[in-house]
This record gives sequence, C-alpha cells and structure tokens, in this order.
Amino acid sequence: MADPAGTPIRRSPLERTEYAIIVTTLLLLVVVTVQPILNLIAVSFSDPSRVAGKSGLDIWPSGFSIDVWLLLLQHPNVQRGILNSIFITASATAIGVVGTALMAWGLSRPNLPGRRAIFILVLVTIVFEPGIIPDYFLMKQMGLLDTYWSVILYKAINAWYLIILVRFFEEIPEEVLEAAELDGANPFQVFFQIVLPLAKPALATIALFYLVFHWNEFFRAMIYLNDQGKWPLQVVLRQFVVEGDKLAIVGADNAANNIGVAQINLKSLKAGMIIITILPILAIYPLILKFFTKGTMSGALKG
Amino acid sequence: MSSVDESATAIPSVSGNVPMPRRIVLGFRRWWPYYVMLAPGLIFFVVWHYFPIWQAKMAFEQVRIIPPNIWVGLKHFQTLFTSPVFYQVLANTLIISTLKILFVFPVPILVALLLNEIRGGRFRKFVQSAIYLPHFLSWVVIAGIFISILSPSDGAVNQITGFFGAKPIGYMTDGNASRWVLVFSEIWRSAGWDSLLYLAAIIGIDQQLYDAAEIDGANRWQKVLHVTIPGMVPTIATLFILNMGMFLSADLNQVINFINDVNRGQIDILDTYVYRIGLRTGEYSLATAAGLFKAVIGMVMILAAHFVSKRLTGKGVW
Repeated sequence: MADPAGTPIRRSPLERTEYAIIVTTLLLLVVVTVQPILNLIAVSFSDPSRVAGKSGLDIWPSGFSIDVWLLLLQHPNVQRGILNSIFITASATAIGVVGTALMAWGLSRPNLPGRRAIFILVLVTIVFEPGIIPDYFLMKQMGLLDTYWSVILYKAINAWYLIILVRFFEEIPEEVLEAAELDGANPFQVFFQIVLPLAKPALATIALFYLVFHWNEFFRAMIYLNDQGKWPLQVVLRQFVVEGDKLAIVGADNAANNIGVAQINLKSLKAGMIIITILPILAIYPLILKFFTKGTMSGALKG
Repeated sequence: MSSVDESATAIPSVSGNVPMPRRIVLGFRRWWPYYVMLAPGLIFFVVWHYFPIWQAKMAFEQVRIIPPNIWVGLKHFQTLFTSPVFYQVLANTLIISTLKILFVFPVPILVALLLNEIRGGRFRKFVQSAIYLPHFLSWVVIAGIFISILSPSDGAVNQITGFFGAKPIGYMTDGNASRWVLVFSEIWRSAGWDSLLYLAAIIGIDQQLYDAAEIDGANRWQKVLHVTIPGMVPTIATLFILNMGMFLSADLNQVINFINDVNRGQIDILDTYVYRIGLRTGEYSLATAAGLFKAVIGMVMILAAHFVSKRLTGKGVW
C-alpha cells in the first residue's frame, strides 16, 4: 500500500509505535538470515590460531589472515571440486536450456497433432516418481555410473521449467509468426530468428533456474559418483562439513604427521569451504533477484 | 503419438473427408519440423522418467547377480509392512510433515503481511534481498551453517541461551531436538522466499477496498484483517493444498544432511530409509518396494490436491 506521493499522512503515536515494531521485526529477520553467513566469512578471514572458541555471534574477523583461503584454493580436492561443479553446471544448463526451448516451442503450437498426449506424458513424470533405486539401476544398466553424464542428465529437462516456457511461447502473438511465414521462413527459421530473440528474458530466467539447481545439486552426484575426482564442490563440502570427514580436506598424511593443512583450525577450514561453495550464488545474486522474482510471480502460480 | 489422427482434423488445410492415411501424411508434412525439435526432449523424458517406472518392477522380483531376476510377487511388500522400522519411518515422515505444516507454513504469510506494511520502497527492497537469499543455497550449505550456529561450544544459539543462564545443548546430537532443527532450518531457508507468493497475492488486491476501509475509519489491524487477509485466502488455500499433496516427502535433500546415528530414530523418513536400505545395505527390492509405496500414495495425494485445489481456487498443481 504505497501512499500517494506528496500527501503527508498524519500518524498517531500508536501507529508510529506499531510501525516501529514492524520495522524492528523485519530487521531482526534480516539479522537472523545474514548474520550466520557474515560470521562464517569473519571466521574464514580470522587468524586461524585465534578461531578456537570465537563466538558464533561475531561478525568481525579476529586478527586478519588469508591463509585459509590460500590453503583451500590451492587444495587439489577443492580445485577439482570447483572445476567439476563448473563443468557439470555449465553443460547441464546448456543442454537444459536448448532441450527445454526446443520442446516447449513444439508443445506451444496449439494445433500440433499429439500435443495433448505429450503433455500428459510430461505431467505423469511430475505426479509419479518411482524413487531413487530404479533411477540408480537405470544408470547402472546404461553404464553411466561414475560418469559426468549421470549427473549432467539428471533433470536435464525440468518439467516445471518446460511448462513455464510453453506458457511464455503461447503468448507470442500469432501475427508475428504468420508474417514471418508469409515471408517464406520455414519453421526452423521462425524459431531461431523470430521466437528465440523474443524469448530472451524467459530463456534467461530458465537458464538461471537451471544454473542454480545444478550448482546446488548434490544427492545424485553423491550416489552416482564413486570416483572422488569427479565430485562437485557440494559433495566435497558435504563429506568435509556434514559427514565430519576431516581427511577429505586435511589428507591422511598431513593428519598423521600434523603438517600442512592439519595445522589450521578445522573450524576455519569449514567456514572457508562453505563460503567458497556459495560464492558463485552470491556473485549472481542480483541477477537471481531480478529474474527469479519475475519468473516466480508470473509462472509459479498460474493455472 | 496416438492422437495424431484425431487432432489432425483441426488443421484447416486438411479437410475432413480426406482418407485417414493421407491425412496423417499431410499432417506430418506440415508438422515434421516441430516433431524434430520436440524429439530430444521427448526421448529424454521417456528414457529418464519412463524407463525407471519399468525398472521399478524389481519391487516384485528377487534381484540376482546373474539375470534374470525371479518374480516373487508381493513378498517384499509383505516384508515391508511387517517391519517395525518401516512404521517408525512412516511415523517420522508424518510427524515431520505435520510439524512443517503447523510451524513453517504460516511464517511466510506473516512475513508478507509485515513487508506489505512497509512504505519506503528502499527499505522493503533491502529486507527482501536479504531474506530471499537462503532459498538459493543448497541443503549441504544450510546444514553446514546450522551445524555452526548450533555448535554447543561457540554456536550463536548457545551463546544467546547461555547469556540467559541456560546450559549449552548439542542440538545436532540430541534426538528430541532434531525434528525442531528440521523445522527451523526449513523456516530459515524458505520463509523469506515463499512470502513472495503471498506478496504477489496482496498486490493483486483492489486498492479501492483499502480506500473504502479507510473512509470507514479502519485502522491498520482492521485493514489487514478485513481486506488483506481475505484477499490472500485463495493463495493460502492453493499453497496449503499443494503442501498437503507433498505430505509424504518430508524433503530428502534436507534430512539427508541433518541425519546422523544419534538422531536417526527421530528423523529417519521414507526417502532416507529407501536410500539407506537400498544403496547402503543393498536390499534393492525392499527399497524399491518402499519407494513404490511412497510413489503411489504420493501420486494419489498430489492428484487429489490438484483436483481439490482446481475446484476450490481455480488453480491446480500445473
């Protein structure tokens, strides 16, 4: 409820108190959301020798050191994880956007014979999911276990994103397409030269959806990839922080002889690992806010 | 594509009295480029989603290292339904889902109501940008953050309760606390972002209703109570029903990152159970049977949610 500009409204003291309470509550929500992340950043930049016992409420580093960051970024497992994550996310997003756009375009043509049948075929996959064990055995039989493909192709085309894109394509005015057809353009030319340029914002939204989804995916990677050399960052992080397997980062030799990484406080290393994993999300967060907000407002609840 | 013949009549260029084979040929001549573009996606859905449905037949088989598997009918389902662990897991799933409906579901509604009271666009944007963030973090990251927040030695929560004289609690290793850890981490992750859906509903409310209420001398609370909340009811109803449809998925991605040997009794859900007996201990058929049980009940619930929601609010699951 925005007040019309330039009409000052007199507020009673009671109303002003109410307003103050609302603002304070919202600020508290902001603090509860952001503080834990700031704390981890502070821990990761603290002098590792001063981290033990550092309060979880602190948002300022104790001392300053980039040792943790240097160690982690030079660590072979972390480097490997970053590269794997980038490779998997980029390939899966590219495949996803292209496949979804092509399929959505066909499905958005109202007179396409078989359109309804294909739609139902897609909807069934939303409603009925037989679970992870059949998925696992399919991977196994196709010989894809322990390959990047097993992770890249998981939900490569997301039924929900497909539906969002179909709805978008359906709203492209028929006259635009007819004009192109009269000029002698074939369906491929219409799609690539007319439809795709018109759909840029929608495609960007879908691309971002896929990007965030694949960057954050860990469960399939965890069950399909035995080979640690193929693990994405999320799985490395999980092994280290959630499973509490400190050897994942410290390394057996180092731990045994208390050298190298083993001398750094585990708490600093864990904080650093978490921040490294969310860094790409933070980097594209302005874009996420812009596109996800619109995409969700227009797509999610349309029915 | 079985319905090719039926819908082909919709094409103006193909008249109704052309014989059928010819109609198909004409239809294909016109539409083949679209089928070519559809094909990769279609193949993907069939291979990645329909092959596993066929594969799920192993719930009725004895899996052997050297194929073929032996058909055993409902044997694994009998094992499942007589296993106490299964009922414990089912109970956990229902309890966790109930807790989430009771304590997580209302929070974004409140957040949206609060945000809506904010007049300054900048402050509102600032709050929104901050509280939407956790929605885009993985459950691995969120679990990492919660392990740190809840640490008994120096975590923020125990620092605060310690300030009031309470003894530190190891929430991650306390079975009774673990379900609440799931509830609070879910609130932390989704309350901000989900409020967006309710804000969209509020924006759709006719401004004249507020003006009329103002003329009637309504204060802030009366406007919220008599205009804003009634305007949100369709969205609340839709999302509530959809949540009910997902009742048997207490969120694998979340629980798998919070579960450990200490709290397993309290937060082992159907999905983590399937994962553990299937991929850890290798009882493939039993695990597939449990997965199928969840899939079938889940399907009924989602379909029910869809049709109920469509009936009541005009909006379905898709």
